Amino acid sequence: MIKTLYFFGAVFLSILLCSCDATPSGKIEQGLRSFQKFNDGVQQAAFSKNKLAPKIEDKDLTPESQFRVNDYDTHTPPSDTTENWRLFVTGLVKHPGYYSLAQIKELQKQVQNSKHVCVEGWSQNIKWGGVALWYFLDWVGADSTAKYIAVECADKYYEGYDMESARHPETLLCYEAFNKPLTLQHGAPCRIVMPTKLGYKSAKWILKLVVTNTKPGGYWEDQGYDWNAGL
Amino acid sequence: MKISPAKVFQHPLIIRVTHWLNVIALLIMVSSGMRIFNASPLFDFKFPHWITLGGWLGGARQWHFFAMWIFVVNGIIAVIYNVVTRHGRKTTIFSPKDIHGLLPMIKYYLRITKKHPTVEKYNSLQKLAYTSVPFLGLGVTLSGLAMYMPVTFQEIAFIFGGYDLARWFHFIFMALFVFFFLGHIFMVVISGWWNFWSMITGWKRVSPIQK
Repeated sequence: MIKTLYFFGAVFLSILLCSCDATPSGKIEQGLRSFQKFNDGVQQAAFSKNKLAPKIEDKDLTPESQFRVNDYDTHTPPSDTTENWRLFVTGLVKHPGYYSLAQIKELQKQVQNSKHVCVEGWSQNIKWGGVALWYFLDWVGADSTAKYIAVECADKYYEGYDMESARHPETLLCYEAFNKPLTLQHGAPCRIVMPTKLGYKSAKWILKLVVTNTKPGGYWEDQGYDWNAGL
Repeated sequence: MKISPAKVFQHPLIIRVTHWLNVIALLIMVSSGMRIFNASPLFDFKFPHWITLGGWLGGARQWHFFAMWIFVVNGIIAVIYNVVTRHGRKTTIFSPKDIHGLLPMIKYYLRITKKHPTVEKYNSLQKLAYTSVPFLGLGVTLSGLAMYMPVTFQEIAFIFGGYDLARWFHFIFMALFVFFFLGHIFMVVISGWWNFWSMITGWKRVSPIQK
């Protein structure tokens, strides 16, 4: 019995020592990050661009007063640029250039209730409005055989998406929440909303959209979050 | 070492290997899971940082989604092995005829009766605990999938009442696992070294007192 106690004591202590080294470093971190790419592949294979997110009734929406602002690090909302805002579209597109909010609002509008799932674990049910990104991409003549979409934001945030997810019917180029124009804190004038991905994929304050075959990084992905982030 | 006649073969190799892999997987899953929990706690408390694994949410998720494969694949192998070979069907798996043995064991553990009820390899409480483990594994896996990919696996998420409730279920299944783990460790410690050693070598030295 004493021997057993010693053994488990030793095991317990070793685990403590290992976990004290809180940040995985060196080889372990490399190994985990390679494995993460394997999981990205699995998530990509499991993804179906025809599978819609579970339907959310209006009565189950998060009250607008509780619409949560997720600020991160030292990033603060950039000053309001709605007046002069243009979305710069470039890369593998037939009609690259600068698009105004008025032009985007003229396209067929899609309003949907979607769950915003944060990587931290909390979630909110929001009524979003905007144009379906697939529709916008077709409108600007994006090469639909290109592999990726990259976006850059006014706050230096950046994101990347696989084309399949970007063209999912519920991926929005979003300019409204709860039937009102986006507030500055929620990404005005225009943001991405992607109910098939974790919240960090739904980039706010976007300025630039690139259609590309080069895999883009992402603000959080480059620090260790999973790139696919599929839900 | 001489093989004395007072030794019995307890645990086949597959059982021993899957058992220890499961220990590793569970330790990683629970410790990284606590770090993930801390990012947005379900309750009014956080786990102390030193007990968690991963350093930050991103690191913890990397550990969690790595060890989940060990946990699941290893668990499936163990269950298939048990079902196919019918290993433990008589000795370890709880069956309706074990129900009558529950109360005497509870009374014994609560010190109401002093004499240990006569049992075979495992008593009915032990059988109940061991038999519940694969079901806990299934529950923790399904509720985990419901949280990991609530759109892709929305049918599973639906069973748990959606993404947000699945988090509660995942936590409860985890807590039951830890409860089992603590009880198991306690029993192993009071059963002594040779019982523990048999999970490594497969052989158990039976002391005259136990026999």
